[in-house]
Amino acid sequence: MEKQIRDKAKELLSSQAVDCVIGYGRATDGVTSRPLFVYEPEKADELIFDKTCTHNLTKYLLNRKGKKTGIVVKGCDSRAINVLLNEEQIKREEVSIIGVVCEGIVEVSWNQVSEILQTRCRYCHQHAPLVYDFLAGEPIKELLPTGEEHPAVTEIEAKSLEEREAFWSEHFDRCCRCYACRQVCPGCYCTECFVDSLDPLWVGIRIAPAENQIWHSIRAFHLAGRCAGCNECERVCPMNIPLRLLNRKLANTVEELFNFQAGLNAEEMQPLGTFIKEENVGIG
Amino acid sequence: MTQIISKSDLITWLNKLAESHVLIGPVNDNAGVTLFRKVSQAEEIAFDFTNTTLSPKEWFFPPTETLFTVERKDGQVELVPAEDVEAKVIFGMRPCDARGIALLDKPFLNEPADTLYQQHRDKTALIGLSCREVLPECFCTSMGTAPDDSSNMDILLTEVADGYIIQVVTEKGAALLAECPEGLLKQSEVTPPALSSAATVPIEGITEIMAENFDNVYWERLADRCLHCNLCAYVCPTCYCFDVRDYNDKGKVERVRTWESCQSSGFTRIAGGYDRRAGKAPHLRQRFYHKLFYFPAEFGSVACVGCGRCVKACPVNVDIREVIMDVHNLGGQSGQQ
Repeated sequence: MEKQIRDKAKELLSSQAVDCVIGYGRATDGVTSRPLFVYEPEKADELIFDKTCTHNLTKYLLNRKGKKTGIVVKGCDSRAINVLLNEEQIKREEVSIIGVVCEGIVEVSWNQVSEILQTRCRYCHQHAPLVYDFLAGEPIKELLPTGEEHPAVTEIEAKSLEEREAFWSEHFDRCCRCYACRQVCPGCYCTECFVDSLDPLWVGIRIAPAENQIWHSIRAFHLAGRCAGCNECERVCPMNIPLRLLNRKLANTVEELFNFQAGLNAEEMQPLGTFIKEENVGIG
Repeated sequence: MTQIISKSDLITWLNKLAESHVLIGPVNDNAGVTLFRKVSQAEEIAFDFTNTTLSPKEWFFPPTETLFTVERKDGQVELVPAEDVEAKVIFGMRPCDARGIALLDKPFLNEPADTLYQQHRDKTALIGLSCREVLPECFCTSMGTAPDDSSNMDILLTEVADGYIIQVVTEKGAALLAECPEGLLKQSEVTPPALSSAATVPIEGITEIMAENFDNVYWERLADRCLHCNLCAYVCPTCYCFDVRDYNDKGKVERVRTWESCQSSGFTRIAGGYDRRAGKAPHLRQRFYHKLFYFPAEFGSVACVGCGRCVKACPVNVDIREVIMDVHNLGGQSGQQ
């Protein structure tokens, strides 16, 4: 599969179909991966793909508007491509998608590669990308066993209001507002984020429990029906805040109310971005 | 002969200190994060930690603190500066982090000194703990310190088979040791075990090469990958950018200082919208120029202690050790790459 990715990248760069291919390269620890920007065909051999390639690279497309770009995209990441296409943040003709078939990514951190599949991969239905120009790898015939419900979400739902408040407070109190969750998220591209606005000051600059709570709550709502579930926010959090639970809960709710999952196609408008008079979801 | 103390006696001594000081030490929380936190008793301390998620700089330069309040009272305007009144002991300071504090002293205590930072420093004693393990991301020996470096500590402890070797470094440290209950300190011939050496980073001459490469396309390429979050700056023991904001609550004004970083969008943006570091590459370049060029030019040493936190925490593997090596390879041929 690596050879297919490299050959395609070389072809795209040599023919000047794109001026950059965004893929994965080896990290400095020698065992994990990192995003790699390839500008010259001869550097394409540095591209890799293995079970450590956890990053959702689609975020970088937002920095390359108006420039022809090739990008390596897994099944999960392809949903973010659809979200960005739907929201007119990227143009289909500017992006050459090298789709990869993915059997799952393992838990990775600096200098450590485990044998354990990431939680999101254990529930994955999307081993091949939904949108691509070229596909690397053989389609997987037999899907890995998946569950419909996310057990950790069900666990939290079973708690009382007070218990849930205590659970989230404990996590949010630790937040240092480094905004790594926002910066890595393809769905977070506001020209000015509400927490960065100083005039008016929507949220105070204090790195403190009340402000942290507002930050995470509003961000989660902004991503309801838009989060494609790549889980990058949780991966990058230095404070190990289980953001997946929040995003997953909201994704479940949106699916229940609107029968909609983010990023399955580029055409269908996301429910919270549209107003349909006839829609009656019992919330007002 | 050296003085040693057994682990259980160390706990007794720390608990004695906790009677007259706020005791702070590395604590593991449920989510797998280790942070320097106040403890009510020494038993809560994670003695077997490697390094903490955030550096202990947060006890000298907190993520958020009130600098002063202004209140109108009886027709008068009264300004009340914040004051640190708590005597504190930080246990478990690693040599790299202690050097981090020594480097923070340079900007904060340079005249005119930051009075609140000065108070935090004066009120806090540092009981250091030598490292038992050199981690893959560590490169402290290239950055002017070492796993058993006692400088910048008040006391340094080094773990050995039957306890901890005690090195008193300052008078403040001697005063702490004087509070140790009688009979707990033993004499011993024991010597600490040797450690494997930390990664070597070619720091020699970096400032001169940085001077030649401000406009090198290298920074653009590096910034391709950077997410421009504040993570590296917030885990860093030597980063000290901050933001300040006044809060007005029913006539009482509070001036608050919080952590900030050169990666945030508002960094260096001034009234009228002009930003002399506008764009992604200038932001990332600022991080490395501050550490490897501006800070050494101003204060005489690079603003990095080799703790490896940013190396480990960066979501996209922007690795300062690699950057330093890359810059050496750029040499003096600015913009030629």
